[in-house]
Amino acid sequence: MSYLELLKLAAPEATVAVTALAVLAVGLIRWGETPSNRRSSAFCSAVAGLGLAAAVGAVVMLPQSATLFGGMLVITPLTSLFKIICLALAFFTVVLARTDLSSRNRGEYLALVLLATIGLMLLVGSEELLMIFIGLELTGLSLYVMTAFDKTDIRSAEAGLKYFLFGSTASAFTLFGLSLIYGMSGTTGLAVIAQKLSAQPISPLLFAGIVMTLVGFAFKIAAAPFHLWAPDAYQGAPVPSAAFIASGSKVASFVVLGKIVLVGFGPDKGSAAWHAMISGWAPVLAVLAALSILIGNLVALAQSNVRRLLAYSAVAHAGYTLLGLVAGGRDGFSATLFYTTVYAFTLVGAFGVVALVRRETGGDDLINFAGLRARSPLLAGCMSIFMLSLAGLPPLAGFFGKFYLFIAALRAGENHGLLWLVALALLGSLVSLYYYLIVLKVIFVDEPAQHETSLPRRNVGEGGDFLQRVSLSVPGPLVAHIIASLP
Amino acid sequence: MSWIVTSLWLIPAAPLAASLIILSLANSRRSAAAALAIIGQIAALTLSILAFLPTLQAPGYRSVHNFTWFTFGEQALRIGWVLDSLAAAMLVMIALVGLCIFVFSAGYMADDKNLTRFFAYLSFFSGAMLGVVIANSLLLLFVFWELVGLASYLLIGFWIHKPSAAAAAKKAFITTRIGDLGFFVGILWLYGGSGTLLFYDGGKGCLETAGLLGLGASATFVALLIFCGAVGKSGQFPLHIWLPDAMEGPTPVSALVHAATMVAAGVFLVARVYPLFSFGAIDGVTPSLVVVVSIGTITALMASLIALGQFDIKRILAYSTVSQLGLMMVSLGVGGVAAGMMHLIAHGFFKALLFLGAGSVIHGCHHEQDIRKMGGLRSLMPISFLTYAIGMMTLSGVPFFFSGGWTKEEILHATAHWHASHIPHYLMLAGVVLTALYMTRQMIYIFFGNRRAASENVHESPPIMTLPLIVLAICSIAFSVVLTPAWRWLHSYLTGEPAHFDIALLVQPMLFVSLALVAVGIGLGFVMYGKAGQLATGRVRPTGGQNRHRTAEMDPLERAQPALFHFLENKMWLDEIYDRTVVAWSRMAAHVSDWMDRHFWDGLVRGFAGLGQLFGIFSANFDERWINVRVDETMTGTRRLGRVMSAWHSGQIQTYLGMLAVGMLALLILYAWLA
Repeated sequence: MSYLELLKLAAPEATVAVTALAVLAVGLIRWGETPSNRRSSAFCSAVAGLGLAAAVGAVVMLPQSATLFGGMLVITPLTSLFKIICLALAFFTVVLARTDLSSRNRGEYLALVLLATIGLMLLVGSEELLMIFIGLELTGLSLYVMTAFDKTDIRSAEAGLKYFLFGSTASAFTLFGLSLIYGMSGTTGLAVIAQKLSAQPISPLLFAGIVMTLVGFAFKIAAAPFHLWAPDAYQGAPVPSAAFIASGSKVASFVVLGKIVLVGFGPDKGSAAWHAMISGWAPVLAVLAALSILIGNLVALAQSNVRRLLAYSAVAHAGYTLLGLVAGGRDGFSATLFYTTVYAFTLVGAFGVVALVRRETGGDDLINFAGLRARSPLLAGCMSIFMLSLAGLPPLAGFFGKFYLFIAALRAGENHGLLWLVALALLGSLVSLYYYLIVLKVIFVDEPAQHETSLPRRNVGEGGDFLQRVSLSVPGPLVAHIIASLP
Repeated sequence: MSWIVTSLWLIPAAPLAASLIILSLANSRRSAAAALAIIGQIAALTLSILAFLPTLQAPGYRSVHNFTWFTFGEQALRIGWVLDSLAAAMLVMIALVGLCIFVFSAGYMADDKNLTRFFAYLSFFSGAMLGVVIANSLLLLFVFWELVGLASYLLIGFWIHKPSAAAAAKKAFITTRIGDLGFFVGILWLYGGSGTLLFYDGGKGCLETAGLLGLGASATFVALLIFCGAVGKSGQFPLHIWLPDAMEGPTPVSALVHAATMVAAGVFLVARVYPLFSFGAIDGVTPSLVVVVSIGTITALMASLIALGQFDIKRILAYSTVSQLGLMMVSLGVGGVAAGMMHLIAHGFFKALLFLGAGSVIHGCHHEQDIRKMGGLRSLMPISFLTYAIGMMTLSGVPFFFSGGWTKEEILHATAHWHASHIPHYLMLAGVVLTALYMTRQMIYIFFGNRRAASENVHESPPIMTLPLIVLAICSIAFSVVLTPAWRWLHSYLTGEPAHFDIALLVQPMLFVSLALVAVGIGLGFVMYGKAGQLATGRVRPTGGQNRHRTAEMDPLERAQPALFHFLENKMWLDEIYDRTVVAWSRMAAHVSDWMDRHFWDGLVRGFAGLGQLFGIFSANFDERWINVRVDETMTGTRRLGRVMSAWHSGQIQTYLGMLAVGMLALLILYAWLA
């Protein structure tokens, strides 16, 4: 193994890292007088965008499959696909950053986005506990800073602090859990861990290791009751940061959580079937899912801030998504991956709309959306498609995602043992339709507040248009792709 | 294979392209439209001649170009075009006659304000007809066949402001559609039986031995169904009624419909699928051919009788067309395919000549079409008179100099040798006399005698109209060179035998018979109508009107046999019979269906709708009173629950971290409890 070869296989990550440094450097260049700040930040965005595009190219150039250092860096069609998805989400975040953030310190912000992206790519592309933890931390630390980045907003700082405290505690749990697993199995490679675990009886220490590891990821994906940071972070953070936390971070977390439970802890799955629960990670995840669906949907009903509403709905969506992992198997995993991808793209779009409304009206409460239809029909149309897709109405992609998830959960195990979870999820979807429609009602029916002017049309097409198309498009190709790339 | 075979499609494509371009022109680009149409037709003619040349090289030349149109399931639908003597001869005739008519139209229609539209339709018509001729697939042929039908509809109803024209167009379209229905069923049957619609496909086509054997006994039915289409298109009894009405269109259209294109299509179709008709023939007689002969005979005689009772110059020609088509069908039916096709081609020339001549006369007489109002035009329109006389003599079948004489003789010859019966032969001989008689009558009314109302201020037509007349007249005469028994070149060309020159065969007994018959016809015409030309000036009783006592202005036949004449004048009451029967029945059926729809079905639907409404009202009440209230209560409860839960999210990080610990502990306990 030569370093040249290593560099070749890690080319996408290397590209993003170099881009991050380049963006940082470009951001520091002084372009004469102060007003040219704007030009500097535009240049930063361009460099970041180009770097991400180059990284996508590098991913495409990767070999079909390769494994380095016992699973520290794994390349399969699946990892390549999700690296591209993470890069795309990062790209939309960069675009969003143009519309939302003031142009101060753009370079630093974008560099953080890119560093977080590297973390996501490491998470996606690794089957080794140590590397996964490094990825988690790289992502997490970047996101904490990104959350607190708006130095002029006290709420941003508060959100960052809460996120950081909660996150670091959760990380501590995870690290402790991982060390316990390592102690039990003597290895950090997921595949080898599975072999060792299947050979030994279940011990209390193993319980602790598995549960603690899961807690860390439950924090990452904002599953109840480890979701408490999410509403504050979603509401207080700058919009691009919130969008990235809700999309990119979540997608990568689900990929790696799936790998850990399905590959690494595979022998200790247990069963979450009603009246036939068997100890293992499946019932733990099932309880998390049920709680998330209940709490997320119910609390979302009471929200008057769109970002907070999206945060609680995100908790609920994390619950739905966990259904696929509880079901397990190829079908369940592919349904999970498909759903989380569709959800991520839809949510980025929704945050894009929120960013534009916030810039024009100075807030993101429901009142600020009143009469959006009259002010900007295009934005209103985009938002309605995003909301309906999140609610899971056919023919939008969200519907198909939920459909695959529920089918996978129904088919898993004997006697439709997971029916109770599916029923709960369906009930939750029903409730969720209410608050999504509230948003649309405000947009389409309510009269605008007196001072509103019509929104400019520019910038709208930048990302929303594409995301709208993603939400609308029949998701067949994507799901086929995901299934084809699963091992 | 010659390049011309693969690019045979260019021949119909040229006029069709011209048509499309003309349609896109502004209505004011009149001369451009005419020029484009004529250029398109010249292109088609040139290509037709180029296609004609290779067929001369070897007797029985036939070359096809087939390709797959589209594939459905396992089956591939193949179409293609064929070049053989039949197609090549028809191509040249259609293109040439069409060209003459196009040129004539440029003069005749010069004052019409929709000239561009007219030429677009005309080109479209010509292209569709050329497509019929080259098709090597019954399906492709049917497609062009229907395009011809559409074009005829558009052209007959060209003067849309005239209600009679619109009615005639509808009549033509619907009547031919009735025949086409049978044709289409025949196509389906043929496809079901033989598995292919290609005529010639290297031994596998439906007209070749293998395909015919696959069809077996059903060939008779398929042939008869296809013949239905020909009956409609070629104006055979009982579907001939649209043809005389089609005279409502502009005269060049009548010429095109009656000479070169539409009516020829039916005869051509029978000739094209002749193997289907003659399959399993004993002594050249099959049931389907007997039907063809019977229909043809009835049509020929009936039409020439009706022609005697008409006063409209174009209607007389129309009925003569019907009768000539009947004659051709008889010829095909008795086995004289070549003779029938020869007559079709010759007829194309002289009938176009007659119609254009009639057009010239009508043009000169300020759009008067009643022959009783003309008269004495001989000296006023000398060119028209001469050419019309040539056309009349060709049609009457005057032997020796005129092409029509030779071809008619061939047909008579063929009927004489038919094994099934001699009745058609004798009836056809009678038809020859009748043809000469009604044409003489027409000539006398128009060109001889005293000048009447419409003959005032008559002038000869401009050269652009007379030139095509002269060309067609020359063609009508010169064409006989290749028709004589001494050198039956066209006959041999069509049948695929080498031609020999033998002057001794020139004079045949049949020649004298037909000479005598024509002489009788013409002589009788002069005897009967010689004085009728001297009608009193202009005052003509309207057709079917009351003033019967003015014997001096009555038709001689009417004077002698009023009942018979009245019968013929009213076209044997066929239109009225159809009106009282078929039309009345279908109208009644329509009324009944209408009534059923309005009262019965509608009532049923309303009843069901009422039931639905009742149920709707009931369930709406149920919804409002019961379900809604419950749901509202649930909703309120749910929202209250949400608010309570929301209160837990206090924003205190200490609480949050506490929750973290509690949650983890709870999960651990769950895990342990389950274990």
